[in-house]
Amino acid sequence: MPGTLPVAIENYIALSAVIFFVGVAGVMLRRNPLIMLMSIELMWNAANLLFLAFSKMWLNNAGHVFAFLVITVAAAEAAIGLAIVVTVFRSAKHVDVDEVNLLKG
Amino acid sequence: MIANPYNSLDWNAVIPLLVVSVTALAVLFADLVARGGVKRVVCIAIGLAGLAVAAVLCAKSYGQSYSSFGGGFIMGGFTVVFEELIVLSAIFSVALYSAVGEARHLAGSIALLLWSAAGAMLMAGAGNLMTIFLGLELLSLALYCLCGMSRRTTARESALKYLILSSTASGFMLYGMALFFGATGSVSLAALANPATAASPLFLVGTALFFIGIAFKLSLVPFHVWTPDVYEGAPLPVTAFMSVATKAGALAVLVRFAYATLPSIHVREILLPLYVVAAISMLVGNLAALAQTDMKRLLAYSGIAQIGYILVALAGTTALGLRYAVFYLAAYLFMNLGAFAVVALMSTENEEGSRIAAFHGLGWRRPWLAAAMAFFLLGLAGFPPTAGFIGKVLILASAVGAGYAWLAGFLILGTAISLYVYFKILRLMYERDQQRAAPVVENSSALAWVSVGVCAIVTVALTFYPLVPSNIIPLVK
Repeated sequence: MPGTLPVAIENYIALSAVIFFVGVAGVMLRRNPLIMLMSIELMWNAANLLFLAFSKMWLNNAGHVFAFLVITVAAAEAAIGLAIVVTVFRSAKHVDVDEVNLLKG
Repeated sequence: MIANPYNSLDWNAVIPLLVVSVTALAVLFADLVARGGVKRVVCIAIGLAGLAVAAVLCAKSYGQSYSSFGGGFIMGGFTVVFEELIVLSAIFSVALYSAVGEARHLAGSIALLLWSAAGAMLMAGAGNLMTIFLGLELLSLALYCLCGMSRRTTARESALKYLILSSTASGFMLYGMALFFGATGSVSLAALANPATAASPLFLVGTALFFIGIAFKLSLVPFHVWTPDVYEGAPLPVTAFMSVATKAGALAVLVRFAYATLPSIHVREILLPLYVVAAISMLVGNLAALAQTDMKRLLAYSGIAQIGYILVALAGTTALGLRYAVFYLAAYLFMNLGAFAVVALMSTENEEGSRIAAFHGLGWRRPWLAAAMAFFLLGLAGFPPTAGFIGKVLILASAVGAGYAWLAGFLILGTAISLYVYFKILRLMYERDQQRAAPVVENSSALAWVSVGVCAIVTVALTFYPLVPSNIIPLVK
């Protein structure tokens, strides 16, 4: 292992795994699309944390670049996501995916 | 390397991609300038012209093989073949806008469709994890908007569903990529080919998450639930585009990963879950298609099964199997987009003609249209003389040759079920329809008819001249 980290790499992996699963649970369990979008951001940022930690461990800046790329794409995704949520729920009084049920699934 | 990291060869590799992206801007500009009735014609014409130029420029690189942008984008026969398939599906989808779609959103829709195609093309040539992710997101972000571009409530609902589910799948894939980076210390796919990494738990968990992302994009069972809903809600040309281009892009990534990246000693075990998923997809896709009352939903489920057939060709990761998979993908493109063009010709001013009930008695009202639909459905079922037949024979031969006879068995079983699906539509079309009055206005868009004709001719031609490209082994460096 080339690089040195303040704490062992396992801690970073464990923390990011916890954040990732909080995100997954949020998408699965919450019914509010805004919270679901936030949970998705959590999943993406868990990956970012991992990229940064591994970047430091391997002394390879590609991980930092990747994290910036992900942040940029996530911003675009959030912009589009919020726009779609607004168009879907413009007519409804409150925001709940269970009421979006014209398509059967 | 220090002064100027990129040379002109690098830019040559992505010229088709740039042409497609710039065409999208040209379409938006034309929308500002053009007035009145010509607007629709001008936007479609510019879109088609740009795509045609991209196809020609792309074909020039067929014989070459080099990597550009520090290994981020790899040009060669493999990339060219997939890019051509994506461009072709974009051409047919743009042509469908002449038959359906709201004029208000036309230029924006075509521009987004082109950007989405550029994303899929980036995936086709992606040589490292960053370009895969960027291509995937460019493809997806444009598609989220496209799905919602209609006045119908179902369209917006499909956009929301697609957004949330697809972003979640991207999250899984991204986390998988982070683990790959941890296992190798490099974002390039070439680094993963080292047999030592295959033993790393980071690599194994990463592969599982990566496959979940890919399986979602390919709409394989059990990650297929979004497909029928999104296909039904999205505007028809978007559905047509998604049914081929998304799958082509994801398949290119998967093939590069399976053929060029995975260490060859472990490849059978690592890919086994994918084959199981393909087998289930062939059964579930065809069984669920039986119960559908909407043509777009039916084609969605049929597409789930078809992508299963293509994965059967990849079993054993033989070079021959890859060539047959690409051949079947091309055949699927023409048969599927031909069927979508027929659905487009069924639509009226206010309604997309995708209700299956609307096909009742079509053979007596519009014989040519019904004949075309019958032909494409027989092709999807795998009857001669269509490319679907010869494609399936080749896939069976390759799977049995590679020692995956059980997968070939599932393919035959799936095909048997699918016969019932397609023959149900055929019977409906040629049943005498007593009470129905003549339709008010027949949609007779010339471009959609040309699409139907071209798809039908190519489907027959591929049967007698099965072009199986030879120069398509994917490289990673």
